[in-house]
Amino acid sequence: MGSSQVWLNLTLNTLALASLLAMLTIGLTLIFGIMRIMNFAHGALYMLGAYSGIAAAQLLGNFWIGLLAAPLAAAAFGSIFEYTLLRRLYRRDGGSFLLVTFGLSLVLTEAIRLIFGPNTRDVDLPSVLSGVVWFGDEPYPAYRIFLIALGIVVLASLAFVFLRTRLGLLIRAIAQNAEMTHALGIDVQLIRSLTFAVGCAFAGLGGYLAVPLITGYIGMGGAAIIDAFVIVMIGGMGSFFGSAAGSLLVALTQTFGNYYLPDFALVATYLLMICVLLCRPGGLFGEQE
Amino acid sequence: MSVTRRSLLTNAAMISAGAVLPSLANPAKAQANAIRIGVPTGITGNWAALGQQIQRACRLYAKTINAKGGIDGHSVEFVYEDTQGDPAACMRKTTDLIERGGINLITGIISSPESLAVMPRLNDWNALYLATISGAGSLTAANFVPNVFRTCTSGPMRAKTIADWIADSSKKRFFSIAQDYAWGKSSVATFEKLITDLKKEPVGQVLSPLGTKDYSSYIARIRETNPEVLYIAMAGDDATAFLKQAAQYRLADRMQLVTEVLDIVNIKPLADASVGLYGVSQYNFAYDAPGNAEFVRLFKAEYNEIPDTFEGEQWQALEFLAEAIRRAKSTDTAAVRGALEGMEIDSVKGRVKMRACDHQAEQQVFVAQVGKTEGVPYPVPKIIKAYPAEAVVPGCRKDSY
Repeated sequence: MGSSQVWLNLTLNTLALASLLAMLTIGLTLIFGIMRIMNFAHGALYMLGAYSGIAAAQLLGNFWIGLLAAPLAAAAFGSIFEYTLLRRLYRRDGGSFLLVTFGLSLVLTEAIRLIFGPNTRDVDLPSVLSGVVWFGDEPYPAYRIFLIALGIVVLASLAFVFLRTRLGLLIRAIAQNAEMTHALGIDVQLIRSLTFAVGCAFAGLGGYLAVPLITGYIGMGGAAIIDAFVIVMIGGMGSFFGSAAGSLLVALTQTFGNYYLPDFALVATYLLMICVLLCRPGGLFGEQE
Repeated sequence: MSVTRRSLLTNAAMISAGAVLPSLANPAKAQANAIRIGVPTGITGNWAALGQQIQRACRLYAKTINAKGGIDGHSVEFVYEDTQGDPAACMRKTTDLIERGGINLITGIISSPESLAVMPRLNDWNALYLATISGAGSLTAANFVPNVFRTCTSGPMRAKTIADWIADSSKKRFFSIAQDYAWGKSSVATFEKLITDLKKEPVGQVLSPLGTKDYSSYIARIRETNPEVLYIAMAGDDATAFLKQAAQYRLADRMQLVTEVLDIVNIKPLADASVGLYGVSQYNFAYDAPGNAEFVRLFKAEYNEIPDTFEGEQWQALEFLAEAIRRAKSTDTAAVRGALEGMEIDSVKGRVKMRACDHQAEQQVFVAQVGKTEGVPYPVPKIIKAYPAEAVVPGCRKDSY
């Protein structure tokens, strides 16, 4: 493999990883932006999406069914959670959200372990995704190309909704000043619930999409949420574009870092975060608090 | 209401601290005269799949032996604790089992760092530990303590087996990938020394942090180096993820893959993509020995599955322990230790001897290749060659050759 092929390989790996990270962090940042809460259960919902997607795909023998089931299951579960628990906490301080969402993540992780067992789970890819694409004489997994394409489509659609539709306008308005938006006759609670559900749906989708790469395992949520928090800090809390940029930066650091400086693989992401926060304490796209 | 980043981080830190507070629950209350064995293992965390194997073997063992009246009339009872694969938590849970639970027999600890954490305390505790998974060579060498017995194979034994197996091959260029902790490092160091002695060339090495799940950058490095053989020392969920990605990048088309730990749990999710993979099968369900046939029969009846590596390894340890208790006619630490030293049993791997000098069990090691077999719906490791103990066990209190 020549050096140009190495670069192509690493660049594609970066984009595929960034797609996965973005699915997870965009939900997290949307929820933070509009509700001002850090959803600790986001990683557990990512795992819930993975396991429900696997279950659905295995039940019906079709990978694509999982792509539908994963976000639906995570959104449904997230909505019930929001409706029954989180709503009661809006008048309290941020600490109670952390405790409740963290508690939920423990309960959910343990419930999934009890239902599915501790062994890793996998899903069969359809032949179009399980093959390879050839760059010269170097095979590259087709699934990673699919992840890149899907990531671009999802991000572009979300950007469109965010910037060009009334719903996007309302979300941005609530993020800026919820009371004023409410005073203008907008059902803030409805938008909040909707955003929460959409955020959870993306986490679930991300979880399922990660399975063919890293397999589904107990603890995948906890591992993913750490990267997601780092990305949200780097991008700026609550910033949609910050999350997208942060995902790309973290993926770039991890992929190229693991290749050139494998001994520093663990600290590279955190060094990146520290550097960004020293230069821009509010994150790349965030406002300084 | 608003959350600043600082208050968020403070809260997050408080929550994390709360999560690791020791559990206040008491270990299960003892049944009168029962022999109680502590199992601080990975019930959650990176090693949960291996921890499940440990627990399944112990549960089946208790059920089987208690149905026959226990050991000399004493029933056997296992007390499980979750270490999450973390050495500090393992230390805490083992302390609980021994100091509060009054238990002096410990087994089922998973990773080598966990084992190495509790070993220095065993003498003060007057407790015995039978290692069934931890592979780091130093357990029976530099870090040897009299109260530890390793009934399973060690990393250096498996590395030696693979080195012997490839000694005759014409392949010259070797790349190693291992998990970056005690066992992985120990195995790679042994392996690279052995192949260098064979006048073969180690062309590269990667140590991946525990919990790594995206191996694409490492795979790019391996491809660029273009070795003839890739030596893999990885276990648990990480191994599954790595083998899966290696298959997606078609690594096996370009080089021979040999893994030090060829477990069903890692290859099952890969299905047919695992066929052809070589590696060491520490315990193999198909090995032809009377003790093994009986174990496999019991296991299938209980769990409707064939036993995997550490179910067999744990079973072997419990057979050692039970026999030692019978011979010692007590569970007293010194008496059981005395009985174990030099003891030979017919186990699931054939004749196995616990040598007295460093407490490493002398046993054969199998090289296997993944293939399909009758009566099992997924590909499994099939033994292609067995290496006798004399060829693969290092010298006393040594982890090199």
